[in-house]
Amino acid sequence: MSASKKLSRRRFLRGAIGGTAVALALPTLEATLSSRARAEGTGDPFFGVVFWANGLPWHAGHGGEQASAGMPDLWTPAGATAESPLLAELQRHRVSVATGLQPHTEVPSTPPGQGDGHMRGFMVGLTGDRIRPEGFDHPSHTLTALRPTLDQYIAKHPDFYGDLPTRFRSVQVGVSTARFHDYGHWNAVSYNGPDSLNLPILQPSQLYAQLFAVPPGADVLERRARLLDAVMDDARSLQSQLGAGDRMRVEAHLDHLSEIQRRFSIGAGTCEAPAPPSDGGDLLQKTETMGQLLAVALQCNLTRVFSFMLTSPATTHVFSNLGVPDGMHKTCHDGHWERVRAIAAHQMAAFARFLDTLEATEEPTGGTLMDRACILGVSEYGEGWKHGTRELPVVLAGGASGALARGVHVREDGGNVVKAHLTILRALGLEHESWGWNGGEVRDHLPGLI
Amino acid sequence: MHRLLPLLLALTACNGVIGDMSPQPEDEPAEVGPYAPAEAVLPRLTGVQYRNVLVDVFGEPLPAVTLEPDTNPYLFSNIGGATTTLSERGTALYDDAAHAIAQAVVGDAARRTELFGCEPAAPGDACVPDGLGRIGRQLFRRPLTADEEARWVNVSVELAVGDPWQGARYALAGMLQSPFFLYRAEIGDPIAGEDGWRRLNGYELASRLSFLFWNTAPDAELLDAAASGALDTKEGVLEQAWRLLEDERARDAIQHFFAEYLDLGRLEGLDRDPERYATFTPTVAASMRSEVELLVDDVVFRRDTDVRELFATRQTFVNDELATLYGVDAPDATPITFVPVELPESGPRAGILTTAAFLAMNAHPTETSPTLRGKYVRERVLCQTVQPPPPDVVTELAMGEEEAATLRERLEQHRRDPACAPCHAFIDPPGFLFESFDSMGGHRTEEAGMPVNTSGDLDGIPLADARDLATMLRDDPRVPRCMVRQLHRHATGRLEEQSEMAALLELEDTFAASGYRFRDLLVALATSEAFRTVREVTP
Repeated sequence: MSASKKLSRRRFLRGAIGGTAVALALPTLEATLSSRARAEGTGDPFFGVVFWANGLPWHAGHGGEQASAGMPDLWTPAGATAESPLLAELQRHRVSVATGLQPHTEVPSTPPGQGDGHMRGFMVGLTGDRIRPEGFDHPSHTLTALRPTLDQYIAKHPDFYGDLPTRFRSVQVGVSTARFHDYGHWNAVSYNGPDSLNLPILQPSQLYAQLFAVPPGADVLERRARLLDAVMDDARSLQSQLGAGDRMRVEAHLDHLSEIQRRFSIGAGTCEAPAPPSDGGDLLQKTETMGQLLAVALQCNLTRVFSFMLTSPATTHVFSNLGVPDGMHKTCHDGHWERVRAIAAHQMAAFARFLDTLEATEEPTGGTLMDRACILGVSEYGEGWKHGTRELPVVLAGGASGALARGVHVREDGGNVVKAHLTILRALGLEHESWGWNGGEVRDHLPGLI
Repeated sequence: MHRLLPLLLALTACNGVIGDMSPQPEDEPAEVGPYAPAEAVLPRLTGVQYRNVLVDVFGEPLPAVTLEPDTNPYLFSNIGGATTTLSERGTALYDDAAHAIAQAVVGDAARRTELFGCEPAAPGDACVPDGLGRIGRQLFRRPLTADEEARWVNVSVELAVGDPWQGARYALAGMLQSPFFLYRAEIGDPIAGEDGWRRLNGYELASRLSFLFWNTAPDAELLDAAASGALDTKEGVLEQAWRLLEDERARDAIQHFFAEYLDLGRLEGLDRDPERYATFTPTVAASMRSEVELLVDDVVFRRDTDVRELFATRQTFVNDELATLYGVDAPDATPITFVPVELPESGPRAGILTTAAFLAMNAHPTETSPTLRGKYVRERVLCQTVQPPPPDVVTELAMGEEEAATLRERLEQHRRDPACAPCHAFIDPPGFLFESFDSMGGHRTEEAGMPVNTSGDLDGIPLADARDLATMLRDDPRVPRCMVRQLHRHATGRLEEQSEMAALLELEDTFAASGYRFRDLLVALATSEAFRTVREVTP
């Protein structure tokens, strides 16, 4: 047997006092606030994506065919405030809305089909770039992102968490379990890059276990962290034998192991865990349950980034509670405008239900979670009848700790949807000169929101 | 060996080429060069494989653990395992699972004594290192290197805190998170005289064999065969391949392949409109799946016969629900007892494409879908590619001028749109053949008050109904070719490359020569040069 290497004695439990772990994950206190947030009198902003499938009911703004249906636009506010029939439920939370936006990225002609609303709108709306085309024209539409979705970009941006990353850099949650394809890649709205997806947690009990499971004692956590050093040594020795692509996959695995070690070093949270939830329930009930767990996590600073997938792209969710007998995707294709309208209203009601929970969660420093929230509400295209990407719906909810104007309607006819991303980045204090790729670059954020 | 790639009929602009990868236009013969290997991939164990290996090594019971769900691009979870990057949550779930399993195994005094075969007096005693070496060989599918052994023994000492079993528990929890356990590395050794080729070593080949035949890690006998050099010869591989096939585990593993190839996962969460299908329950969907599994088992194992029969046979298996749905007599059938039945010669059904499983999963909750059914025939059965619809097309099917327009009529109107015509002319005609089956798979003679019309065609050959299609598919060379292609994808965890076409054609020939017996195809694949060679990786 060769000479054994001593396991590294990592510096452990930075906050350990007298052998007792003091968690870094504390409710936001004055002392831990950034200077900017202190000046605003609220905590650091958190970012979230709320995604719903299949867009909105079509109208003339979506294009010629959609215009011929002669249906009214129930989404776009008439004036400068965000008021319209479909926004009615969200209005109580003074959300802002940007209309007229669409993807601007180029659409290569081969392989064909890259203009497809689901995939183009989905990827541009969430990553700012076009889809990765390889595998797209295969029956399984092995859709994937070229770069991280905005939630992951922000969660890993060095200036977002700075020296105080929360226990979880991000949390992914989903509500509907309906899938369009069974292949995996359509069941997530959070990506780290190509073929690297963060599948949402779809059961409240699993979310509860992730967020609030009582971790073992500090000594056990230390041993578990040290054990990962040995695992990483194995990983590095494998890595040296691999080609570039697989080496990157193992590299990502190594990064995750380091992140888990970091989590162990934080130790237990001081959150008061809510009562364990029960699984099941309809879309609204489940949204509420998941939202409540997430709200506790946000309030006690377990995370500051999340994605919340109400329904997955191109969802086949059957809204039988609304008297819709077929899956939503088919219902759109079949041109059942009234049914799509009912579903859109229902999804907005669920979105609003989630915001109700954030609004009801008070902060130790005063105000509610909605004051800190910076939430991008988005769908994969404008409307589902023809899968048109014009008039892609964009909702901005929350005050981003005072940085984001609330209750505003901004309209830019044919504007680039990634301006919403730049708006968010700047509202979060992450200055970027430009954003967007492959023909979709912008330098300006949406006016009147920051 | 040079050979012409079999031609497909060039029908429409939509007609894809078999295997989706082939760069040639379909109306020109492609020259197939001699075989050259493709780069190996690094598949991560699927959820089923992870569980299977642990049960093999530690026995049951094992705690239920949550893992990140598999992905299955191109239908196969092995391809998902080889392409999808593990997420942070997935990594954390592995960590939790490893500790839970190590605790269950080593925390139980009787179990750990049996597993290690001794009782250590103190950390560092030979008992723990010996046991870890033995267990590690099973988990990593090869003996541990000296460095690895040192690493894990060191863990067992350092983290023991005076308790040797605690040390062993940590070491096990670490090995269960090692990439050498979680990923299937196939590096190979250079082959003299063949630039860039590498040959899998005995252990790597043993691993490929057992994951293909058993969907789990090699057993001791297979590892011993690797150690002895028995797998370095074709005869040695042949012997092991047949041994593996004769084992019960092969039945499960082959079912697993067929479930992915036939896309049976789509039966999960199947939903039917209760207004139209009052008898539909989730248990019916499970019964539908069981019927297909029994058919596969019958053709591949029980009768070991021409697997193309799957597409044409009138022998099937029903429980009471399916007997009612099919309108056949099966007095001994119960909710949980499936009995063999012969479907009537004059009836509408033959082959898996007339099982409720296929008919229901390719239909909507309210109505059938000739498009989905036709697409399945094209993509899943014939391995053809159907292009996605062009952007901004109207996908709505008009209700037609008359109230009672059938779905067929509405689709025919749709095809008058020149943007839609090429693809739908490719997809829909085979799909129309199934119009006498409703969305749940029941037989019907009317739709919207009109007699159903089941006429259609495949590649311009007119057919009367699904029975006609079954007869035609039974002898269509594209069907076994597609099966070979899909098995190769499942076995290698990736799409085939052009340089491998010669090997795939040879497999097709062997398959044909065996009378299309699936077990022979498996053995032919396992003993082929293509199965044991890889190309050097691009650094």
